Amino acid sequence: MIDEVVLETRGLTKYYGSVFAVDHIDLKIPRGCICGFVGRNAAGKTTAIKLMLGLLNPTAGTSKLLGCDSAALTPAIRQRIGYVTEGHRLFGWMNIVELERFQRTFFPGQWDGKFFAEMIEYFGLSKKQKIKHLSNGQRAQVSLALALSPNPELLIMDDPTLGLDAAIRRQFLSGMIEIIMREGRTILFSSHILGDVERVADRIVVIDKGVIRADCKLEQFRTAVKKVILAFEDSAPLQVDIDGLLHCRRSEKELAMILVGINDDKIAELAKSAGAEKYHIANMNLEDQFIEYTAPDGRGKLFKWEEI
Amino acid sequence: MALWIQISPGSDKPIYAQIVEQISEAIAKNELSAGDKLPAVRKLAAELVINPNTVARAYSFLEQGKLVTTKTGSGTFVSDPRLYSRDAADINMLAERMDTLITRGLNIGLEAGDLAAMFRDRTNKFVSKQKSEEKKK
Repeated sequence: MIDEVVLETRGLTKYYGSVFAVDHIDLKIPRGCICGFVGRNAAGKTTAIKLMLGLLNPTAGTSKLLGCDSAALTPAIRQRIGYVTEGHRLFGWMNIVELERFQRTFFPGQWDGKFFAEMIEYFGLSKKQKIKHLSNGQRAQVSLALALSPNPELLIMDDPTLGLDAAIRRQFLSGMIEIIMREGRTILFSSHILGDVERVADRIVVIDKGVIRADCKLEQFRTAVKKVILAFEDSAPLQVDIDGLLHCRRSEKELAMILVGINDDKIAELAKSAGAEKYHIANMNLEDQFIEYTAPDGRGKLFKWEEI
Repeated sequence: MALWIQISPGSDKPIYAQIVEQISEAIAKNELSAGDKLPAVRKLAAELVINPNTVARAYSFLEQGKLVTTKTGSGTFVSDPRLYSRDAADINMLAERMDTLITRGLNIGLEAGDLAAMFRDRTNKFVSKQKSEEKKK
């Protein structure tokens, strides 16, 4: 069970006209993790998610959820998957009761009505409220309750906390932790809030201009992406050559390098062989790492994360 | 007891390391003493709203340093101080870190005596909390 892959894509590709939205993505998400799916705006996150769910047809490649081809998900498989859309689009003309009744028909035999009622009460909502009269945050809360109530085996959420206040965002994260503690559950969620990703995720997928740049354990990404500053007595060399160099910025006497997968001993060696007077490994948080990792001057470099 | 653990996800220190640091400090200050039970992994994860694997990683890190002991089925407990491990490398690392502090102290014009007094005062903040028991070397 442990290494079982619940979401897998191979060469998954989507063009819009002649533009690549998603470019040959290969992903393997193991069961039991929370995977943060991060990328800058227009990196291809939503397109990738829609392809995985079979809501869009790929130009090329394949995608499988729970072992079933995304283009031909059977009702039995769909029933095991929860999906929260970007912006929490729900039918405005329904009230909360009607929406629950509608939603539960897709999950026969597994809808936890008590759990749904408790969540709605916890959020201070009334079941008679019409969706179109709810605020953004309240709609998000309803959508969270709808997503969790069927106890999905695989939960996919497209930027679920976009535009929500800190308290409601925390409720979403809490809900994710609650789900993941049940046996065999897996969550993939996209987000721009790296602090949230660090909080709840134990895997990270970085997508950049439609290309998967990293797919690994979060901790591995945290450890592997480093910023090293070499200081030189005279002028800094124009460049240094080292495996794992993502990009390098030069000022007169300094080189600031972003390195991937180079351990501290190697860094010391590198500093010595480059003739640096001293060097410094800068501390970075996940957001700094993400920004440096997807910076334009490092684009196109791909690392074999399974070997780092 | 978990309520005093504060994590900040935007920090350059990974979350597991923040937990390790805070529990280690609580043990050093005797706010947690031998035999005290740490919260269950899942409970702490739910309370702090973080991934359970992160808590598990922090606990296993503490366990490697022998600060805590996990008993299968019953939980994770603060170890007896006699089990704390320390080797030459630990002592060396400590000495190196002290060097950094001493350098900084001298650079800002403190004298050897000031530094020693400061070090003693800071240490007392930890040790005075421990219930008077004379430490046996």
